[in-house]
Amino acid sequence: MEGDFIPQQSLEKIEQIDAADLVVGILANLDHESVATVHEALRTLHGDLRIVILLGDASSVPAQAGSPSSGNGPQLTFVSWPPIGADTSGTPMQSISAAYLSLFAAGRRLGAQAGCIIASKLESVPPQWVCELVQPVLETGFDLAVPHYVRRKFEGLLNVSIISPLIRCLYGKRIQNPLGPDLGFSRALFEMVSGSDGNAHRIHPLASLAPVAICDNLRVCQVHVGPRILPPTDWTNTSSLLVQALGPVFLAMERNAACWQKTRGSIPVSGFGEPLTASHETATVDVNRLLNSFQLGNRDLQDIWGLVLPPATLLELRKLTRLTPEQFEMPDELWARIVYDFALAHRLRTINREHLLRSMTPLYLGWAAGYAKEMEAADEVAVERRLERLSNAYEVSKPYLVSRWRWPDRFNP
Amino acid sequence: MREQVKQALDQSTTRFITALTRLLPGLVVLIVALLISVILAWILAIIVRRLLVSIRFDQRLVGWGFPSTAEWSPMKSPSVLVSRFVAALVVLTGLLIGVSAFDAELTSLLVRSVFAYVPNILGALLVLLAGIIIARFLARSVLIGAVNMNFQYGRLLSVGVKWLVLVLAVAMALEHLRIASGIVELAFGILFGGIVLALSLAVALNAKELVAKSLERETTKTTTERIEDPLRHL
Repeated sequence: MEGDFIPQQSLEKIEQIDAADLVVGILANLDHESVATVHEALRTLHGDLRIVILLGDASSVPAQAGSPSSGNGPQLTFVSWPPIGADTSGTPMQSISAAYLSLFAAGRRLGAQAGCIIASKLESVPPQWVCELVQPVLETGFDLAVPHYVRRKFEGLLNVSIISPLIRCLYGKRIQNPLGPDLGFSRALFEMVSGSDGNAHRIHPLASLAPVAICDNLRVCQVHVGPRILPPTDWTNTSSLLVQALGPVFLAMERNAACWQKTRGSIPVSGFGEPLTASHETATVDVNRLLNSFQLGNRDLQDIWGLVLPPATLLELRKLTRLTPEQFEMPDELWARIVYDFALAHRLRTINREHLLRSMTPLYLGWAAGYAKEMEAADEVAVERRLERLSNAYEVSKPYLVSRWRWPDRFNP
Repeated sequence: MREQVKQALDQSTTRFITALTRLLPGLVVLIVALLISVILAWILAIIVRRLLVSIRFDQRLVGWGFPSTAEWSPMKSPSVLVSRFVAALVVLTGLLIGVSAFDAELTSLLVRSVFAYVPNILGALLVLLAGIIIARFLARSVLIGAVNMNFQYGRLLSVGVKWLVLVLAVAMALEHLRIASGIVELAFGILFGGIVLALSLAVALNAKELVAKSLERETTKTTTERIEDPLRHL
């Protein structure tokens, strides 16, 4: 029930609000200045919209911002919403998922036409993002607006290596960041994901939004929203990150199997906003550390990988370990097949799912090593070309996935 | 004299026939019980095997962390092994029921003591099974965790943890079976201590490497500018 996701202290405040057209959730704890900027940015939206903003810490809201504005233009109401705030107890993905469920519940209760979540910190995200993400939904009739961040070649590696090409190849839509986390969505979509017939998607709403939207023929677009600064890498936690990010994606893949097995090829989605370019980076990556992890995994995890990967793939991986760091490169087709095999093993529960995804870490770091070495001196165009090649490899290898998915015992090359 | 011998022989024959007639119903019951139990065992074995095949038990067992179970069974199939075990259990139960039908005090006592011991055997088997599952799970967790933390001795740690849990499970199972509990306790203490010592050495050896690397990094940091890792995963 939607009430389960609405905190008691916020429920009273929500009940006082009659209805809303737009519900905006801001995950980051904002200072007075940032709240005022968001406030001003939302006022630029057209029409007499009733906007409810859910904030983790509403104490930072200026007194004048808390009261509905008079005259023409949007009416803004701030509501304190603890699940939206930074949650230190859970993992980041779980916190964001909880925030999404919470926002869906508020949206349903208020009868909102659209919703939006800003999960990135506003120091790095311009406040007008809120408007840019909701405008296609409110004004052009799109159901899901996903962000298209300025690509930095060494950022969002998990997304560029697995999530984005996998979603593209499965569902046939070229989306740069299917998991957002900053997203705009329509009432139709969030009702579908959080409604009574979509209980299964409630578990991981973030990973379900794009697949559900595409499979149900809803309209999806991308919004060019500028650069996003990601937190520094915690190397001791890479495997947890894989579990958190890939688990929901593989689950969504399992649930939408009937839909993606029919899809062939991929097409771009509508774009909004001006594409921006990143400055040329000349950063150096410690490839040896990544390769050491890959080599160690290849030495010690053969028993586990042997349960997941077919013999031909294991043989190719063994060949890779004999290469020098200068020669090392994981072929795209091999990488795509590895991802598919792990997705299949996740579905079949070949081994404990957490073990499975954690055991993928050395393989992922191996891919990252090859990519980092190749892209060290590459410019933005070369990076785009490289990632396009990878996405094509996923698409070319899709028949392999479909065959293994349908006949896991019989088709085992 | 002849009369006396004849009488003695008659009495012996009568005693023998009486004993035989007293034994015969029991024997028939034993044969019938055995026959019924064999038929039941055969049917049950087929059902169990089909059930296990339908749930892909062999493949699942490999997934649960028993990749070498195929070697235990002569037919190279854990499903066959389990079905035969069930069949043997049914035949054994039938045999015990049949033996109890002799109505002799000795056999009744034997059957009673065997049946009284069955819960111990089942308990020990359960403990052992749980121990094997936990050992495999923990070994895999430790191995994956160690590899992801770049521990060079991850495999050794994993094997150590597995044997630690297995030794504990076997000791508990033997305790449950009431077999030489004093010796088991002593052997368990020695083995457990030995494994802990081996693991400590493994960790210490690994830690030595880690500390050396860490110190090396610290030293490098003081002389050269620390380069921030540009990789971001999500």
